[in-house]
Amino acid sequence: MKQIFYLFAIVICIFFYSSVNAQNTQIRGFSAASVTYLDKKISFGFSEQDILITSDLTDRLSFLGETVFRYDDHSTGTKFGVEVERVIMKYNIKGNHNLLFGKHHTPINYWNDTYHHGKLFYPTIDRPLLFISNIIPLHTTGIALQGHDLGKLKFGYDLMVGNGLGSTEIEDNDNNKSLTIAAHIKPADNLRIGASYYYDIISKGASVHSHQDDQERHEDRVVDWRVVQNLFSGSVAYFGPKFEILAEGTLAVNRTDTTCYKKTLGYYLYAGYKVTDKITPYFRIDDVHFQNGEIFYIKDNKSSFITGINYQINYLANLKLEYQYLHSEITGDRNKISAQIAIGF
Amino acid sequence: MGNKKTIIYKEPERSIVIKFSMVACLLVMSIIVKCQVETLTIICNSNGAPATMKFTELRSVMKGERQRWNSGAKVVIALMKTSTTVGKNTAQVIYNMSGDALLKYWLGQTYQGNAHAPKFFNTKSELEEYVAENPGAIGVIDPPPANNEVKIVSVDGKTQFIL
Repeated sequence: MKQIFYLFAIVICIFFYSSVNAQNTQIRGFSAASVTYLDKKISFGFSEQDILITSDLTDRLSFLGETVFRYDDHSTGTKFGVEVERVIMKYNIKGNHNLLFGKHHTPINYWNDTYHHGKLFYPTIDRPLLFISNIIPLHTTGIALQGHDLGKLKFGYDLMVGNGLGSTEIEDNDNNKSLTIAAHIKPADNLRIGASYYYDIISKGASVHSHQDDQERHEDRVVDWRVVQNLFSGSVAYFGPKFEILAEGTLAVNRTDTTCYKKTLGYYLYAGYKVTDKITPYFRIDDVHFQNGEIFYIKDNKSSFITGINYQINYLANLKLEYQYLHSEITGDRNKISAQIAIGF
Repeated sequence: MGNKKTIIYKEPERSIVIKFSMVACLLVMSIIVKCQVETLTIICNSNGAPATMKFTELRSVMKGERQRWNSGAKVVIALMKTSTTVGKNTAQVIYNMSGDALLKYWLGQTYQGNAHAPKFFNTKSELEEYVAENPGAIGVIDPPPANNEVKIVSVDGKTQFIL
């Protein structure tokens, strides 16, 4: 019986191995561990483990799946939750034009679409405040038309229609669809300039995801008003052989019947200089400002200054040491020193 | 005593000759090796890449910025591993990156879902075989190909990059 079981297991393994090879399936992972000195206390921690699977199903159809295992206060047992971050079926229509279907990183900003959970790629330890203040919808479940590297300016575009905020991964909560229109150009090597517009109507009574901090601890809250949301974003990214510059900003205009239009502006500027191939000192300035009377977002004006050094161990690992001064309307002033090792495998 | 003196006198002379010969051999070998790595040749499958390209086009293709050739064949990139001399030269000349930076670039492209990473090979013959067998494949090797089933792509009018 035992021998039959082993034989069966071997056959399954061979079948799985061969089918994986036939489809050109790749599995990659990302993780990070850190030590932080904050409020006169040293803490060790690891934030999440990210598993990425890509597969070519046919000559034109491919798959990308990203699943994150992370600490979650609300889950029971080990206190770790599993979240499907991306499931994308991509069909190449013609040339560099693709149709994408599934759950995506909303292509609003450079950081959100380029790095997201891949901390190995982050130029700093944590995300900018813009992405942890619930200003932009980080994910969208829907359908998208995407093109890239078109013409001399290497023009790229994303047109996405999704369920919008308040929906679940399997069902829309209302008849309103979110719309994302994004475009970028790459006029020179290592330079990308982008702009985007996002529109959504969030129904009264909708339950929306709130990110509590950079560890992406989630909390759902109910929206008590119908909100018409318009987001205007712009980004400039240059990652050259020596200099690195990344600047992004989003202007959010939320309209409710009671408060009319309320504006929120969030931006950050990152700059780094490669002293050697492996060592990059850097700094980042962040600011998020909510207009008085804003009721859709949790109003907490914040600003931050970060300086640090990034040591590239190899392409699969880097070590960052960083100091952050953070001013928050709610929590006050904080000084944080962090070290992080981020890996890919 | 006389014999002993002769032996003592001849021994160092021989060793000097041997050492000199070894140094000369090493020098010749290093020159030969250097001559061998100083060229890069772009090869492709008969279905896919055009016979001539501009360098800017080539770099764009090799960075995964083009999904399909005019024939409709999917672009598939084949490179030597960055631990090999050809792989390092490819990273430097075609991508203007270090080997490590090239690998990180492709890891990033894979993570973003923009493109599939190239196939990396240990030997030239494996790479040539892969390019010959896969429509749309394009690769970089060191000396001109031994496999008759692959085409050479002329870049800016040249069939080889002289480093």
